[in-house]
Amino acid sequence: MITMMTAKDVGTMVKHKEELFILDVRNQTDYQDWRIEGEQVESINIPYFDLIDGVDGVLDQIPAHKKLLVVCAKEGSSKFVAEQLAEAGLEQVAYLQGGMKSWSEYLEQVLVFADERMKVYQFLRLGKGCLSYMVVSGGEALVIDPSRFTDVYLDAAKHEGAKISHIVDSHLHADHISGGKQLAQMTGADYYMMKSEGAVFSFKPLEEHDRIRFAQVDLRVLAVKTPGHTPGSVSFFVNDKLLFSGDTLFVGGLGRPDLGGKAAEWAQDLYDTVYGKMAAMADDVIVLPGHYAELDREVNESGYVGAQLGVIRAANELMNQQDKKSFVDQVVAQAKTETPPNFEEIIAINRGVEEATAERQQELEIGPNRCALHHTHE
Amino acid sequence: MNSTKVIDAKGLACPMPIVRTKKAMDELAPGEILEVHATDKGSKNDLTAWAGSTGHELLKSEEEAGVFKFWIKKGE
Repeated sequence: MITMMTAKDVGTMVKHKEELFILDVRNQTDYQDWRIEGEQVESINIPYFDLIDGVDGVLDQIPAHKKLLVVCAKEGSSKFVAEQLAEAGLEQVAYLQGGMKSWSEYLEQVLVFADERMKVYQFLRLGKGCLSYMVVSGGEALVIDPSRFTDVYLDAAKHEGAKISHIVDSHLHADHISGGKQLAQMTGADYYMMKSEGAVFSFKPLEEHDRIRFAQVDLRVLAVKTPGHTPGSVSFFVNDKLLFSGDTLFVGGLGRPDLGGKAAEWAQDLYDTVYGKMAAMADDVIVLPGHYAELDREVNESGYVGAQLGVIRAANELMNQQDKKSFVDQVVAQAKTETPPNFEEIIAINRGVEEATAERQQELEIGPNRCALHHTHE
Repeated sequence: MNSTKVIDAKGLACPMPIVRTKKAMDELAPGEILEVHATDKGSKNDLTAWAGSTGHELLKSEEEAGVFKFWIKKGE
């Protein structure tokens, strides 16, 4: 008997650090590029086309006592292999419904913060490492960096009895397609981003709105001019407590400066931000970033990706008493050459210059996120 | 190109295009050419990887109106 697991089931296991053994039957390059990871997740890769004549050769590689999940790109091959494994006598064989495609699209919602003024949720896109947020107060909701799965935010708002009234993008994303424009159309909410990012549709420019206030929420826009990463990346500082840092600051360290090919210029602006605006912020400000690189390292005890600013500062040499020149030199030296898959086309779609069908959008986003790629573990 | 055999895997989802291809290939002699038609978008990556791992040679591939065509020469 084989069973089916959903991306949500897998997400729950990964977050609760449950043991799972994955047989990934995609081809080798796809597996090396991007796969399901977790502290208690062990995986091996044997392409399904090596298993067409039988699975006897791999049975000894599969531990008997662990739950086994067979994974492929879409679903068909994993089911095919799972059936053969079950016939060969294995018990507890499952396949992943919708394959890596559905893993790429699954969002896990976690409560991050609640006080008498607001409630804040984080949405973890476990398959890609992207984070988005909802701030709820007085029957209104503000969404930060929404993914294209707009139903998730509509459902979450409905559950809170709130109406989405504001949407903000911290920058023009290069690794995933923003749901901001679509969500604004569906809800009538105001949609803000930096004009300097070059989007061609209509929105409220953050250059003219450095503060967004609704109900009990006071959001201040920290414009970090970051030519290089993107021309107008911003962070959002909410109620002097939470810093939604976009791609500027991660739990594991600083954002990467090389995506626009102007690493040195960006690094100087980043220095001014880190040693200017951020230096003035209290240690107990909670940093909520736009991405993570390694869930196990960056997720905290409460189950969300985030950390106190003081903790991030203490762990990051670059944020401590560096002079500008050595800071810039080190940041530039860390610049990488790997870019997010399909980033030029994704940027064009997010700017509104190109359009893509739902199927094409799905294809473009398949694969790893490389904005926050293992940046602290060089 | 002179194909010894043509496999029509159009409309079939993964893993069937490769299953059919492999079966047909088993019946060919080394050096003979199998032509595969498929519509599954993953088939290009998978056929390339499969041919590489089995010692067959992917001679040529093309796409026309949503149909992927492959010519694979059987290895020794």
